[in-house]
Amino acid sequence: MSLLELRGIQAGYGAQMVLRGLSLDMAQGEFAALIGPNGHGKTTLLRSISGLVRARAGQMRYMGQDIGAMRPDQIVAAGIIHVPQGDLLFPEMTVLDNLRMGAYLPAAAAEEAARLEEVYALLPKLRDRRLQIASTLSGGERRMVGIGRGLMAGGGLLMLDEPSLGLAPIVIDQIYAVIARLRESGRSVLVVEENASRIAEYADRLHLLDNGTFVWSGGGAEFLAQPEILATYLGG
Amino acid sequence: MDVAIQIVASGLTLGAMYAISTVGLALVYGALNMLNMAHGAILALGGYVCYQVMAAMGLPAPLGVLAAMVVCGAVGVLIYHLAARPMLRSQNFETQIFIATIGIGAILQDLILRAFGPQPKPQPLALSGALNVGGVAVPYQNLLILAVALVMMAAMAWLLGRTRTGRAIRATAQNRDAAQLMGVRIGRVYAQVLALSGALAGLSGILLSSISGLLPTMGSDPMLKAFVICVVAGLGQVQGAAIAALVLGLLEALIQYLFGVQYAFAILLMLVIGVLIWRPFGIFGRRQVVRL
Amino acid sequence: MTSGKRDLVILLVLVLAMATVPAFVGTRYIITTLTLFFIWTIVVTQWNLVLGVAGIFSLAQMALFAVGAYGTAMLGYYFGMTMPPAMLLAALATVLVSLVVGLACLRLAGPYVALLTLAIAQMLYLLVVNDTACFTNPPSGCMPFFGGVRGFSRFGDLGFRDLLGSKWYVGHYYIGLVLLALAVAFTILIFHGPLGLAFRALRDNPGYAIARGVGRLKYQLWVFGLSAFFTGLAGAFYAVQFGVVGPIVFSVSMLLFLLAMIVVGGIGTIWGPLLGAALLTLADETMREFGDYRDLGLGLMLALFVILLPRGLAGVRGLQRPQG
Repeated sequence: MSLLELRGIQAGYGAQMVLRGLSLDMAQGEFAALIGPNGHGKTTLLRSISGLVRARAGQMRYMGQDIGAMRPDQIVAAGIIHVPQGDLLFPEMTVLDNLRMGAYLPAAAAEEAARLEEVYALLPKLRDRRLQIASTLSGGERRMVGIGRGLMAGGGLLMLDEPSLGLAPIVIDQIYAVIARLRESGRSVLVVEENASRIAEYADRLHLLDNGTFVWSGGGAEFLAQPEILATYLGG
Repeated sequence: MDVAIQIVASGLTLGAMYAISTVGLALVYGALNMLNMAHGAILALGGYVCYQVMAAMGLPAPLGVLAAMVVCGAVGVLIYHLAARPMLRSQNFETQIFIATIGIGAILQDLILRAFGPQPKPQPLALSGALNVGGVAVPYQNLLILAVALVMMAAMAWLLGRTRTGRAIRATAQNRDAAQLMGVRIGRVYAQVLALSGALAGLSGILLSSISGLLPTMGSDPMLKAFVICVVAGLGQVQGAAIAALVLGLLEALIQYLFGVQYAFAILLMLVIGVLIWRPFGIFGRRQVVRL
Repeated sequence: MTSGKRDLVILLVLVLAMATVPAFVGTRYIITTLTLFFIWTIVVTQWNLVLGVAGIFSLAQMALFAVGAYGTAMLGYYFGMTMPPAMLLAALATVLVSLVVGLACLRLAGPYVALLTLAIAQMLYLLVVNDTACFTNPPSGCMPFFGGVRGFSRFGDLGFRDLLGSKWYVGHYYIGLVLLALAVAFTILIFHGPLGLAFRALRDNPGYAIARGVGRLKYQLWVFGLSAFFTGLAGAFYAVQFGVVGPIVFSVSMLLFLLAMIVVGGIGTIWGPLLGAALLTLADETMREFGDYRDLGLGLMLALFVILLPRGLAGVRGLQRPQG
């Protein structure tokens, strides 16, 4: 059974359709990446999976459960954790309170203390910054809090939306170190990433999204061996 | 000296009453960007429910207060389900809910008028007597109002700061999408916030009417003042609203003493307009980041 | 034919049709009711320009109307000015007041504008009502500067009583119709003109419009000021039509009545507010015996329309053509 199963998803904003019927399968423990040019629906896809955007058509199943009609909080409770683009922290809360919000649901709250230690172990900087107000953090630190907050929830599927977007190269390296650790931990991860070649080194499968549909899917090594894909869809 | 004590005493009383109703408005705006124009009618409703329970049914004061808070809280929930929820996803939510609650306020006020008539009525929940402070008689009623306000503030601070519900409310106010992604059921938060705001309005209505009496229209001026206080503090700033309420209460008492009662509100409004020209997002408010 | 021209032709036909009414209908009641309808229509079409086209959530509309009405009454009462110049002067004063209000408010975000303009209206009301010091002492009793709760009366009229005798109200009918025609023509021109285009650009895509140099504040101030001229003129005409001006123009009931016209008709459309004004005037007149329920009905109407039909009657299919 697939972990995540999408069939014919259509979604959009107002009169504008962004996703034009796309399907996706993800296995348990798989590390998958969505790649493709900006503005072609990668973020919208994650937002429809987590319920922030209502899909107009299609089926979504997570661990055999129909999540298409669920509210966002029910989808979180089912185990899909979405670390959104642009961090979306709670700006007036401390780092610690932001992390604790990640474990808001009762099931996660029960394991809050242990999870917090795990997050601090993975992202040690957050321990030093724990009493700082989130809005005063640097961009890289904010991203770490966003990822840490997502990890606090536990869950069965972690969705990361452009974790390295807009960061300095040295900070991107830190983020990729975290990605590598997540890869090793055997978690199921769905990551959206601009830098296709770099994420291809980690991903089990890549899905290239163009104009609201998948135009290519395959393994990371396969992708790296076919430079013409890059040239056609990602402008080199 | 006597005059100073008097001004401080009546100013703090005013400020305390404003604070109770203003905090509710600030919470609602913070959580769902909704200006509740029915707030004034809910204030009046609270006063009348307490009157009905105490004067007509002869029950003790705590029951009157409880009934008022429960009824007004329920009205808040009703406003959420009947008016706010159907239009939450609309692009013009702020404008639409503003107009809708103007309508709801008119309905509610008219129903109160029909039920209780246009004549002023006294609020039975009132203390007589006064405490002597440095030669000035401070009525027990004022002290009661201050005490109630302090208890309410402490309760709100505890609720928002220390409870799970409070964390969900703060999270929703700070980032609606992120709160949902943490598993917060924001629909429920909205209903809770409106219930809380309604209950506080009911309480505030009882206190206001214990000083100036009951009238179906008694809520409209306090509502406008509460909004003005919210605007000065910066919309959605809960703590700022409480502080601004106390400061403006003191200021109003001072203006009343210096220029006369009839000019107090007008002068207050001029000051507010000045504040907004100086700081367009309120004293405690932050410029909102507009995402295009 | 462009849609702007089409709207102007529709207006011309409507106005000509209305101009023939006094020839068939002699009843004073109907003529004066229609005159009042003209006044409210002017007010709501201008308010609609501010609310629905310029996107300024101002609740100061009735305060501006009051400036026109009070200005006319006070110029007549204190200076003995004849009415036509007094009305014009009062309308210009309204523009001045609107510019001050606009400069104070327009930099603020939507909800702040609504609250602040409401507060300003309330402040003016309190100044009028709470000022009890006698400014003059005519035989009829103490007269505060702003007229107090009683307001002003016997400040002059347009002279139709001398001209037309008992049929003076027909003169007022035509004056109202001309003012209405001018005001609606103005809204059509704004709606289809460069200002309207700029506003639709701002509304539909603020980022793009700002990037293209559409200065929001400047346009908003223009529309706010120009619409205030007609609003003030409507207030001035209200003063001479009734011969009395009092603080009732500030009442919540009045605000509800006018806001309901716009909401029922359709905010941001040309003909919606006219339709709303016609329907609500008709409803108000036919249901006079239910006068007790007026506020309740208006409240229900406002809430139900915003919740169930936020684009008003003009937003219902067919009646609307694509905007652009």
